[in-house]
Amino acid sequence: MSTLLSEQSRTEIDAWIAKYPPEQKQSAVMGALKIVQEANGGYLTTELMDAVAEYLEMAPIAVYEVATFYSMYELKPVGKHKICVCTNISCMLCGSDDIVAHLKQKLNIGFGETTADNKFSLKEVECLGACGGAPMMQIGKTYYENLTSEKIDDILSQLD
Amino acid sequence: MKAIKDYIQRLFLWEMFKGLNITGRYLFKKKITVQYPEEKTPQSHRFRGHHALRRYPNGEERCIACKLCEAVCPALAITIEAEQRADGTRRTTRYDIDLTKCIFCGYCEESCPVDSIVETRHFEYHGEQHGDLIMTKEKLLALGDKLEPQLAADRAYDAKYR
Amino acid sequence: MVTIEIDGKSYQAEAGQMLIELTDNNGIDIPRFCYHKKLSVAANCRMCLVEVEKAPKPLPACATPIMDGMKVFTRSEKALIAQKSVMEFLLINHPLDCPICDQGGECELQDVAVGYGKDLSRYQEGKRVVFDKNIGPLIATEMTRCIHCTRCVRFGQEISGIQELGATGRGEHTEIGTYIEQSLSSELSGNIIDLCPVGALTSKPFRFKARAWEMQQAETIAPHDAVGSNLYVHLRSKQLMRVAPKENEAVNEVWISDRDRFSYEGLTADDRLTTPMIKQDGNWQETDWETALAFASENLKKLESNNIGALASATATIEELYLLQKFMRGIGSQNIDHRLRQVDFSDQNDAPLFPYLGQAIADLENSDAALIIGSHLRKEQPLLNHRLRKASLNGAKIMLFNPIDYDFNFKIAEKIITTTWVKNLAGIAKALLETEATLLPAKMQELLAEVEITEQQRAIATVLSATQKGTILLGNLATAHPQFADIRSLAAIIAKLSGANFGYCGESCNTSGAWLAGALPHRTAGGKPVEKAGLDAQAMLTQGLKGYILLGLEPELDNWNGVAALNSLKQAEFVVSLTAYKTAAIEEYANVILPISLFAETSGTYVNVEGNWQSFKGIIPPPGEARPAWKILRVLGNLFELEDFEYTSSNEVSEELSEIIGDKLANNKMGWQIPEKLETQEAEGIQRITEMPIYSVDALVRRADALQNTIDAKITKTAHINAKLANQLNVNETSYVQVKQDEIMFTLAVTINDQLPDNAVLIYAGQNATAGWHGQVELSATTEGQT
Repeated sequence: MSTLLSEQSRTEIDAWIAKYPPEQKQSAVMGALKIVQEANGGYLTTELMDAVAEYLEMAPIAVYEVATFYSMYELKPVGKHKICVCTNISCMLCGSDDIVAHLKQKLNIGFGETTADNKFSLKEVECLGACGGAPMMQIGKTYYENLTSEKIDDILSQLD
Repeated sequence: MKAIKDYIQRLFLWEMFKGLNITGRYLFKKKITVQYPEEKTPQSHRFRGHHALRRYPNGEERCIACKLCEAVCPALAITIEAEQRADGTRRTTRYDIDLTKCIFCGYCEESCPVDSIVETRHFEYHGEQHGDLIMTKEKLLALGDKLEPQLAADRAYDAKYR
Repeated sequence: MVTIEIDGKSYQAEAGQMLIELTDNNGIDIPRFCYHKKLSVAANCRMCLVEVEKAPKPLPACATPIMDGMKVFTRSEKALIAQKSVMEFLLINHPLDCPICDQGGECELQDVAVGYGKDLSRYQEGKRVVFDKNIGPLIATEMTRCIHCTRCVRFGQEISGIQELGATGRGEHTEIGTYIEQSLSSELSGNIIDLCPVGALTSKPFRFKARAWEMQQAETIAPHDAVGSNLYVHLRSKQLMRVAPKENEAVNEVWISDRDRFSYEGLTADDRLTTPMIKQDGNWQETDWETALAFASENLKKLESNNIGALASATATIEELYLLQKFMRGIGSQNIDHRLRQVDFSDQNDAPLFPYLGQAIADLENSDAALIIGSHLRKEQPLLNHRLRKASLNGAKIMLFNPIDYDFNFKIAEKIITTTWVKNLAGIAKALLETEATLLPAKMQELLAEVEITEQQRAIATVLSATQKGTILLGNLATAHPQFADIRSLAAIIAKLSGANFGYCGESCNTSGAWLAGALPHRTAGGKPVEKAGLDAQAMLTQGLKGYILLGLEPELDNWNGVAALNSLKQAEFVVSLTAYKTAAIEEYANVILPISLFAETSGTYVNVEGNWQSFKGIIPPPGEARPAWKILRVLGNLFELEDFEYTSSNEVSEELSEIIGDKLANNKMGWQIPEKLETQEAEGIQRITEMPIYSVDALVRRADALQNTIDAKITKTAHINAKLANQLNVNETSYVQVKQDEIMFTLAVTINDQLPDNAVLIYAGQNATAGWHGQVELSATTEGQT
């Protein structure tokens, strides 16, 4: 058994496993990846994914598939605050392009990049289900809706 | 009345003068015969003569060994063998055109997706043995290199009709 | 049964069957990419959209179950618009590189695009580009061409049982690949070349060599494993360019193993022998057939006939083996054998007509339990393993009895990993005896009385006694075991007590044929016993004869004891080798070498493990002066003035043989010996375990370059021991061990392999000449060596 997973991670993963029938352990893969990612400072490595695969008795490639599919998993180190901007249709119609341009210009980074001080990462994501408040973005676990350039400046200045 | 007219025409050799009239006209007309080989007839941009293989301006051979020309050739005059070259690209190791079989239909040129095999304006060649008329890849590339300016110009001229 | 209407015609169908199955069976053409009859339905390419009455939108035919009264239109305007639109989407990112694509001319996308594609693309944006992956020496990738049908991914999950390929990323960024760079390790991986509807996955050895339209197709039979897969070979101007499977549900379904697919490379190996050669005064010289055969027969005639022995590879056709035994018996020698990898022949008189699977190959998948005794089945007989995997997925309990804890690609219900075979098998037998009423002979019961039963043995016995359709399979590790007779008896007893089928996994493509043809010292053609048995394969080499005739083998690699084989061949007065390859070893021991034709170059018949006679024709001419071995043997027979050696075709030979065999049927229910005593002692010291690796089974595959570069071939060069033993010996993966066995020493690099028990070392056969395949060895660490 791989030693990469901490005792605490395992306990948390076990809680996820318990939610599913015993022969379908792999259903817990999304929860497990999230736990492991958080324990590893916000991103996953191939070794960690292999460890999850081993723990859930699935093929490693099946874990890679999940980890690369969903935008909440990171495969390389990210900054302290991960800014996820939705660019799907509702947000796009409400001006997400301007939001993106403003963020890029303000942080001086592009999508998938991290600022030099490792504080912010920018990521383009698909619909986060907050079309009512378009344009929107997610930082950490918080949704920020009805964005304007000024509002963004405000939000970012409040983050340490 | 018709009989009399016919009789008079025959008596005065009317038909002959009619013929001589044509002869006379051509006698003084501008001559179209050319003194080959000193003089040559004009050639179309689409003239279908001896084949050549072209290269890209950077010197890389165009042919990618797709074998479409080999497949389309109605006279089965083309023989190609292909292999992966060291850099991983698809290239011919053998590209032979048997000019004794070729009927100069131009299908090979039509089928070529990269404008590699072309029929040039060059048509004055001979072989003393059968083998001389089997054009190998080296010979075809050499001819292509020699004629490239004209080949490129002809294709550029013809491009708008394609 | 329900009635449905397709394009105005009514059809009878099973309710719940998918629509596309019905249209396929009735010759109605529906375009598709992701659907494949042997794989699960994914319905992700959307190419098979058809119009169904009352359905608001077109439905995918591959995922629409048939219902009574359904009205389907496959070529209505709505269906065609849907199909053409899907085609346009699929072509958006597909590169226009058909001229350099190996799939060009046999590409499903190309074909369907002709029918459903537009002649102009409306797509103005940049196309997607995907970087290529290196997935091993067999399969070339060009992933930009991939249309994400996921057939290859599903193949890994469902058929090969090793999930290696996957679809990572999503949407436009989806990529098919292994994510981390690695080679595919499945022994069936080549099938994804056939599955891929586009040119994303193509054959690496065949890359850029030929076009689909310039090749002719011919049928033949695979020359390696005992399944006898049906093959198509593709030829270009009399050269074999590649191999593809031919569908035969009863044998190989639609799959073939990589070994059958890529071994053809060995046909054009550098050391292929093309002219007959004779050795005179120590010098080899090329000569013509007449001289070579005259030289061979003159010298053989000088020897006493019972001092001549014949060894044949079971990859020879049944005609060749029959003629060889007819020749040997004609000149008065019974010394002929093909069982090169066996050492215990004590119960050969009780053996069945041939090592029969005990059932049809297709029946294996209906088993509800199976006990595999001594087999790395996945690598020995990949397609038999596939059948058992299917059984396992249907709930069958597959159990193992092996010296090594091999990886299997399905769930193993129970397993015993041991180097002490007899004791453990006896335990299973005894456990069964306790529950089964059937009585065994008193002697046997006495023998078993001493045996103690362990938990594992009892668990296996419990499963077996509960089965309705169980199977006991004896593999090649068992056949090569020094206690084979006892193992076979016990396996038969276990089968008898549990009412299970008893079968052999089979070894070579014509092992069954070799038994039927009488390439045996104790039985002539058709299994008829001879008065006085000749020498078996090992005795011929340990006793040392004066003359040998070898047919298609490399004794130093093929034989149970390569070193002993080489020694006695070198000491022989005259050795005739009918071989396709000229090796340094052959030059040393042989006096005449006669070039024979190989796979696809000769006509003949192979009998597979279920007793199915499969004949094939010669397809390509043999190189140079090489000739089919049956013709060579016929002329040898003529030179010896033997009777009835006038054959004009291989058909005449096989007809003569099948007349001799008559109506004798395959049957494993022949007698078995009661062992004198059961060797129930734990094996002492370190035991050598030997396996014939998948890509070394015969001379042809040993020369297939691509296969020799696979992981399966690369791991065979070293000695495998587990971590515990490595610690004891103080060695690691960078060091070497010196192996001492029967006074023979050799040095090998070390691989740590925890599938092995503590007291065993795995040394692969078919690599270099080493001593006997089993037995006690001494291992010691050494710093120097060569791999």
